[in-house]
Amino acid sequence: MQPESDRNGFEARGREALEDELLVTRCQIGEASAFDELIGRWHTPLWKYARRVTGNDDAAAETVQEVWLRILRGIVRLREPGRFRPWMFGIARRVMMDRLRSAYAAPVVESIDLSTIPEPQDSRDLELEISNLHEELARLPVIEREVLVLFYLQELTLNEIADVLAIPAGTVKSRLFRARHLLREQLTTKGTKR
Amino acid sequence: MNPISNPDTPKVSATEIQRLIAGELSLPSRLGHTFLLLVSLGMTGVIGTLWLTEPSLPARTQIAFALMVTIGLSWVAYAVWVLTRRRVLLAGHRIIAARMAVTFSALFAAGFAILGVWGPSSRVGFSAATFGLLMLAVAIGLLMHARKQFARLLERRQVLEVKLARRAG
Repeated sequence: MQPESDRNGFEARGREALEDELLVTRCQIGEASAFDELIGRWHTPLWKYARRVTGNDDAAAETVQEVWLRILRGIVRLREPGRFRPWMFGIARRVMMDRLRSAYAAPVVESIDLSTIPEPQDSRDLELEISNLHEELARLPVIEREVLVLFYLQELTLNEIADVLAIPAGTVKSRLFRARHLLREQLTTKGTKR
Repeated sequence: MNPISNPDTPKVSATEIQRLIAGELSLPSRLGHTFLLLVSLGMTGVIGTLWLTEPSLPARTQIAFALMVTIGLSWVAYAVWVLTRRRVLLAGHRIIAARMAVTFSALFAAGFAILGVWGPSSRVGFSAATFGLLMLAVAIGLLMHARKQFARLLERRQVLEVKLARRAG
């Protein structure tokens, strides 16, 4: 039996996807008011993602402006309007990749046995904790930071994150594993110092 | 010191972004580039027709025609790039642009057909009119495609509105 909260959450996600699809369809038609609504709906989540990944206001401001321009220019080619959310975060990521290319040059993914990785859904209780730990999150390397932001703060699914990052879902799991591990390590160190 | 003072409050407001996007969505710029595309295509067609149909042109004239055709094609490429990558034509804009193209091509073809009948060089007139008819055929095809796409999006919008209304009810 599916718990009530899960069912409600699933329905809410379905309704949000439908609302996104309707807004994107209206944008593709050329309704200027639909762009206003789309921006009103997604500007803050986009800002939070850009702000946390880039780590400063100026870079985040430039990123979100560039992302919205790219959305405007590319929305007519979006074949599945219901998938607006991963598409938008994918654009944001590419914009930030361009800006943070040097940071991405460093190797970050170590070989991890995927069978030892627990399902990320089991650790959802970390979500609340992360929202109060901006400082520690900002200190994480950018790749680990962005996967945590997308999963816990933007609540994208593993498959959606795989779309955004253009990597296999298994790699998303390994990055999540590593990111949580690093964050936990930082928190422990901080706790010990206190 | 915490480097992130208040990461959840956007430094750039939604209103500022809306203003930026509204500026980018301006219709005159799109229609201006559509007009540039049509005029540069028409002029390139006329010069190309002259170049191909006039027998035994001096080498210097041929080079001049080649240069003019190259410049014309560059403007065509620029206008196409702007309309597909920068000032992208949304479904509603495409219908307007396609109507402009149909009108322009029809006038172009008719004008050169008249020149072919009553003008000094019927060969050049009829060749350019043929080019105009080709443009007209493409423009009609684009208009039909734009209308079909617009109707499909309107239908999809209606379906989605009904679905959401049912969920809300």
